[in-house]
Amino acid sequence: MKWMVMNLLAKAFDSALGPVQTEDIMKSLELMGKGMLGIFVVMVLIFILIFCLNRFTGNKKED
Amino acid sequence: MSDFSFLTDGAMYMIEHWNMLIMWLIGGLLIWLAIKKDFEPALLLPMGFGAILVNLPLPGVLGENGIVQWLFEHGIEASEAFPLLLFVGIGAMIDFGPLLSNPKMLLFGGAAQFGIFFTVLLAVLLGFPLKDAMSAGVIGAADGPTSILVSQQLQSNYMGAIAVAAYSYMALVPIIQPMAIRLVTTRKERQIRMPYNPQSVSRTTKILFPIIVTLIAGLIAPSSVALVGFLMFGNLIRECGKLETLSQTAQGPLANLITIFLGITIAFQMQADMFLNWGTLLIMALGLVAFIFDTIGGVVFAKILNLFLPKDKKINPMVGGAGISAFPMSARVIQKMALKEDNQNHLLMHAVGANVAGQIGSVVAGGIILSLAGIWGLS
Repeated sequence: MKWMVMNLLAKAFDSALGPVQTEDIMKSLELMGKGMLGIFVVMVLIFILIFCLNRFTGNKKED
Repeated sequence: MSDFSFLTDGAMYMIEHWNMLIMWLIGGLLIWLAIKKDFEPALLLPMGFGAILVNLPLPGVLGENGIVQWLFEHGIEASEAFPLLLFVGIGAMIDFGPLLSNPKMLLFGGAAQFGIFFTVLLAVLLGFPLKDAMSAGVIGAADGPTSILVSQQLQSNYMGAIAVAAYSYMALVPIIQPMAIRLVTTRKERQIRMPYNPQSVSRTTKILFPIIVTLIAGLIAPSSVALVGFLMFGNLIRECGKLETLSQTAQGPLANLITIFLGITIAFQMQADMFLNWGTLLIMALGLVAFIFDTIGGVVFAKILNLFLPKDKKINPMVGGAGISAFPMSARVIQKMALKEDNQNHLLMHAVGANVAGQIGSVVAGGIILSLAGIWGLS
């Protein structure tokens, strides 16, 4: 089913630049999932870092 | 008479290679945009002049002993030195204070990278090979040096077009973002007020922040460590309080020198044979899509968060749109839009927080793309 959808997409978007690679469609979807997840993981870690830094160094306010 | 043929050889060469003349026009257009329209003049002017320079008869500035080729091979191809050194200057310019005092804004720096990945998918559907699609997507990072670095590491054939698109659209942020934001928000949402109650930030926090962020990036997305590391190194110079002269040098002379040579070096990729094709036009269009969907990604994420927030804690969705890396232009655009809807609604500091988070988000996105490209054997 998944490959049928991919093949359909590949046919629909067949472009002047050459045939669309169904494998690349899968990889770009994987990139979207892993990329957004990865960014949010890093952002949440930095959030925790800032929370801890503000908590443990907050009594030395200089700014 | 044939002794004087050297005077006409150049003209004859240009007649045979007429597509170079088109590149002169494109170079002229970039120079016009830089001077007359004030579109990122520091980059587009050197790129425009460079486009003319590399489209003159050989052996000019190309070939084994050509200066532009030498700059490209040593300044970008060998180690991406130019974009990375520019990051030291950018890091020294950024004050992470608004983000450190309001860290929730980090989420928007993540959400507003959506356009990058959406554009990669679209580029693949248009028939670009995956490595070129990934490079085109990174235009959405709204971050010139990251776009150049990723497209170079992936050895994209469209590096010149990607650099032109990245810097051109960055200059167009005041036009692109309001249009995209209005498309997905109501007037009532744009009028949401957000009180600004920042926490105080200690100097220790400001010093430890760049060091620990580099460690996190190095452990989670190792391919981003050069980008994040150089950005944070510049920021550490700024925040340590002991290197004011170095900080000023990084923000001024270093950034200016690199900018001058980066523009003219990128022009190496603007030789007529490489640049003039349908792919270049599509890359320019994809870059616009990336900017629009980055903005929409940030705005829609804020709207989703609002579904779960109490009435008095709602976020103005426009702040989400500031989570792109075009700093500080995007934050200013949001402030201007907010004041237009309600002249007492001051969102600048929230937007600046999201905007500097976008700086981090864009380099992390670039790093993740390079990591996956490495796993898939594309770099």
